[in-house]
Parts: sequence; structure tokens; C-alpha cells
Amino acid sequence: MSAVPAQAPVERRSLLAGGTRTRLVQAGPAGAGEAVVFVHGNPGSADDWAGLAGAAASAGKRAVAFDLPDFGETVAPDGFQHDVPGYAGFVDQALTELGIERTHLVLHDFGGPIGLAWAAMRPDRIASITLIDTGLLPGYRWHSLARVWRTPVLGELFQATATRPAFRFLLNRNEPRGLPREFVEAMYDHYDRRTRKAVLELYRATDDPGGMSEALVGLFAEREVPALVIWGEHDAYLPSSYAERQREAFPAAEVHVLPASGHWPFADAPETVERLLGDFLAKLPAGSA
Amino acid sequence: MPSTDPHPPIIGDGPAYDAVIVGGSLAGCATAIQLGRAGLRVAVVEKQPDPGAYKRMCSHFIQASGVPAIERLGLLEPIEAAGGQRPRVRIWTRWGWIEAPPERAARGLNLRREVLDPLVRGTAAETPGVEMLLGWSVERLLRENGGFAGVAARNREGEERELRARLTVGADGRDSRIAELSEVPVKTYPHNRFAYGGYFEGGAPANAPDATAWFLDPQWCAAFPTDNDLTFYAAMPTKDRLPEFKKEPEAALVRFLSDVPEAPPIRAGRAIEPVIGKIDMTNRMRKPVAPGLALIGDAALATDPLFGVGCGWAFQSAEWLSDSVLPALRGDESLEQGLERYRRRHRRELGGHAFFIHDYATGRKLNPAERLMFSAAARDPKAAALFDTFGTRQIRPQQMMPRLVPRAVAVNVRHALAR
Repeated sequence: MSAVPAQAPVERRSLLAGGTRTRLVQAGPAGAGEAVVFVHGNPGSADDWAGLAGAAASAGKRAVAFDLPDFGETVAPDGFQHDVPGYAGFVDQALTELGIERTHLVLHDFGGPIGLAWAAMRPDRIASITLIDTGLLPGYRWHSLARVWRTPVLGELFQATATRPAFRFLLNRNEPRGLPREFVEAMYDHYDRRTRKAVLELYRATDDPGGMSEALVGLFAEREVPALVIWGEHDAYLPSSYAERQREAFPAAEVHVLPASGHWPFADAPETVERLLGDFLAKLPAGSA
Repeated sequence: MPSTDPHPPIIGDGPAYDAVIVGGSLAGCATAIQLGRAGLRVAVVEKQPDPGAYKRMCSHFIQASGVPAIERLGLLEPIEAAGGQRPRVRIWTRWGWIEAPPERAARGLNLRREVLDPLVRGTAAETPGVEMLLGWSVERLLRENGGFAGVAARNREGEERELRARLTVGADGRDSRIAELSEVPVKTYPHNRFAYGGYFEGGAPANAPDATAWFLDPQWCAAFPTDNDLTFYAAMPTKDRLPEFKKEPEAALVRFLSDVPEAPPIRAGRAIEPVIGKIDMTNRMRKPVAPGLALIGDAALATDPLFGVGCGWAFQSAEWLSDSVLPALRGDESLEQGLERYRRRHRRELGGHAFFIHDYATGRKLNPAERLMFSAAARDPKAAALFDTFGTRQIRPQQMMPRLVPRAVAVNVRHALAR
């Protein structure tokens, strides 16, 4: 759920991609081959992006966001691989299905590794990249919650005991301003058994979240991909010191560390993030990169 | 002007001056005005030759605590006539805005130093008994009978004069030469933020109708509307943010202020002069007296600009010194007694404030006690009024805490229960 109403009308429908029926949030000129594509993190869903999709549409762009399999309300088909390559493959299928050829990626949290892995598969399709509390994470050591998830039994125990009040407490404890209540509640509504299981698999399959950084730095730097980096200074999971480091891969990046935000700047500072993304997209020359 | 001064110094037959004041900025000139009006003979030694010189790196905010001293000097009306603004203080916190109810909110004073400094200096120059020596630098301190007894100063042409005085006053700022020469004890406190700021025109400060500061914990920024429809914007981030500010000061300042919650419209404005910064702001607290000598303003206590206290305390410490030493300079008591009275007053008034300010200047985040008080002040108008009285430095921490802490606890308990 978005914290503020979107500027442009946002349409919701479903999309079948690679055997997964996912929820699609779409705004702006439907059918355009160039689109802003939002990839959510964990826990997250297509709903995270309703406000920003509106902002992107207001900047004249087609905007699409979808649930990743086993997140939001979307069920993964049997045999779906809950790891970075599996999810990157799903993104690829979804974009093919949507007829999107040029992509402005907007990534958050675990959507970072997934989206960047997809970008490495399809570098020619990248028009720009916006990183929100995510990015290339050289030398990153998993945050404490991720370490819990990665530990057999302990992770299962944690997921089994993550009640709504506990979830609310854990999440807000680390947020400098707290998150809008409805945002947290919606997040918990989506944090069902399937998602909990998917989270354990995804984190356990990702031993080194910074592992692919080195290879990707060269790829993006060489292509001079336009980039916008937004990071909440008080992010308790992915430290904001990584914001400046994104320049290693995106030397011309516009970097904004939001001094009063945490891990979800689009929820605790929606106007700022919408303005930054809207301005960034509007400034890009047509058909850039 | 100094080099054409028709009066040669009197040597040998007692000191020529009752007081020689080194530094012709706010504190020095305020002292000169007050002592001159009391019928004393005062020399002000200022190294800048230009009577229009002013301090560039300054938030220019004068807390409400300093306003009575300015009024007493008769400067409040001229300052307001020159365009000075009388802002209330608003503070953004993650718990909401801290705004005292309008009828209880104290009003500070904002007038750009470019206008303020010449105005105060001009008033001092016109005060009978005050002699301004502009373009003179202090070479050494004069000593007599185990105490300080004036200064030897040199002008730009190389002419040297000995200015003998019963009282020597160091009003020469954070890096005080007088403090250094007199070797008064000094304590330093690390400062781990840096400051950039500048004046902007255009873009009515929609979210900053008054003097507004954002406590982003640990980052900080502010917007102060001032004379001629200008707004002073400043940021004081922790030092990890320094590279981007060094690279493009104005762009970084605009970006920083635009990205804060309920941001002021800095992007709609235009800087009227280059945005400038100060990186080393090591705080210094000096013993403000030595035999025959006193320090005032930043020379006595150079603290964190984040709290906007420097200008106000310059006027206030000038007032405390003048009041303390007047009886002695008139011959009614020993100078030692007067200086001791000043030292005690300075410490009583500012010691507690300085303690908390220096601690926060390390760049740390708000501690639990501060969070308790900030959050209560954002939630409760009475707590906000108390907070305002303290923040504008009209009461000391020792006076604020017994009143605010119990209220803050009650407000937060009530808030927690209401959820």
C-alpha cells in the first residue's frame, strides 16, 4: 500500500509470466516499449510501488511493478527456484510478456541483487537504474535478521513466531520515524507461510550478497548507465555508507542520502522519493544510454 | 583613522585608557559602547582596516537570550530599522514539529552580519570616550605588577603603539590571539560536524516562516529568514558527508536541504553569494579572566554554531563584563573583585549550556534523555514552551530539567497509553 495517493491513475491487473500469475501495478502509457520497472525487496510486493509508479507516469513514462513469485499475493509454480537467478529469470519473462525493451530499473532491498543480475543478463535493455537502499554491496556481511534466516532451525523458528505485533515491533524498532501503520500492516498481511518459506530459501541460497559486485562494476561503469541512488541514512539492514560507493559502478550517479529516513524511504519520505525519481526520469534524454 | 590619530599615547603617567579591547566585532564593540557611555576611556583595536568588515562564516542568528542586552545598548530599534527580523524558533524532529504556542514563543533576531557588524561598530565609534584603531594588530601584551596592562599594537605601515590600560579585553574570537598570548587555561572539545551555509533570494520559505532547524539526528540543517527577503540556509552534517560538500558546496547544500522532511523551498531560490563552509570547529572554553584581563564572546567560549548561541552570548558576555568591572574602573573596588564577579557570572550563565552543547558536538545522536524531552516537546504545547525557553537560552539546564523532565515523562506515558 502506498503512503500517498499516486499522481497519475494506477491500474491493477494480473499478468501471466513463465507459469506464474502475478499481480501487476501499471501506470502511464500502456504498451510503450520503454518503461520504468520496479522490483520490490523482502518483505515487499507490487503495492510498495503504487505511489512511485504514479510519479514515473507523471514524468511521461510507462511504469510497471509486479509481485515476485511467493511475495505479495502471488504463488510460485512448482519447482520455482527461490534464488537470485530464479527471480532474475522471472523478471526477464515478465518484461518479455509486457513487451518492454528499454528499462528504467527501480530497485529496493533484495530487488537490488535480483534486478542487477537481470541487468547483467540484458545490459542492452538498460536505460537507467535507480537504487533505493540497495545496490552493489562489496564486502557486505548479512544483517543480523538475515543471519537468523540463514541459520537452519533458527530461521524456521523465527518465521513461525513472527506474529503481527512482533513483526510490527521489529520493523518499527529500526525505523527512525516509524513507518505508516497501513504500510506495515499490508506488509504483514503478505508475509504468509509461502513468503516466509521463500524468504528462507532465498537468503540461504545467497551466500555472498556482495559477490557479484566486482563483475558488475565494470559492466555498468563501461556503459555509463545513468543512475539515481536514494538511501535512508538510518537504514538498519543495508548501511547508507554504501550509497556513495555506488559511484564505483555509476560514476555519474546522483546520490541522495535522506537524513531522516530508514530502510523504506518511499514509505517514510514518499514526497521526496517521488520528486527525486520524477526529476531524474524527466532529465534523462529520450532514448538515453 | 589610526595613522592620522592626533593624540599620541600618554606614557609614564598612568595608563592612557581604562580599557583596551582587542577585537572590534560584536562583543568588543558592545563592551566599548557600555564602558564609553559610563564615562570611561576605551580603545578598540581591530585588525581589519575596513569599517564595513564583517564576519562571513556565521549563522547570524541571535537567540532571544541576547535580545535584552542589545536593547539595553539601544541597538534593537536601529537593527529592526535596518531590516532585522524577529523570528520564533521551530524545530523539526522525528516526533513532529516543536513549536511553542505563539504567545509564549521567544523571538530572536536575524540581521545579516554584513549589515549588523558595521551598525554596531559605527555605534561604538560614535560613543564618546571610545577610540577605534582599525587596521591595528596586537603584537604582544603589556605587563605591570604581575598583571596585564594593555597591548602593543602595530598598524599596516609598521608603526607600533603601546596602549596602556587598566583592563585588557580579548574580544578576538574563536582563535583569540589575546587568549593565546595571556596563556589562560583552555579546554577543547572535539567537533565532528562541519558547516556550510549561504544567503538565498527568491522562494518564500514556505516550511520556514520562522527560524527553522531540522534535527535529523545526527544531521542538522536550518533555514533562517532574514532582512531584504533573504533566507540563510545552512547544513551541519557529520564529517562523512564532507566530500560532496567540498566538491560542489552550493549543489550539495541545495540537495541536502531539499531532501529533508517538509523541506524548505531552497531549490526555488538563488544563492546571492558563494556558499561557504567551515570544517574545523573545535570548541574552546577558556578561563575568561586573568589578572588585569578578561575574555568575552567567542574568545571566552567558542562553542558549536549548531545552536546559534554565539552572537547572543557575545552581547551578553559583553554586558556581564561591563557591569562587573564598572565599579572597579570607577575606583570603587579592586579590579580583581570585578573580574572575579565576571568569571563567576560567565560560568553560572553558560557553563551548563556549554556542557550539553559540547557533548552533542561530537556528532552523536540524541541520547535517551534528549529523546524524551524532544519527543515530549513535539507532543505537548506546555513542554514545547519550556523547551523553547531553554533552547533560546533564557533559562539554564539546571532550571529547565526539574520542570521539563517530569512533564516529558508524563507526556510520553500518556502518548503511549493513547496508542
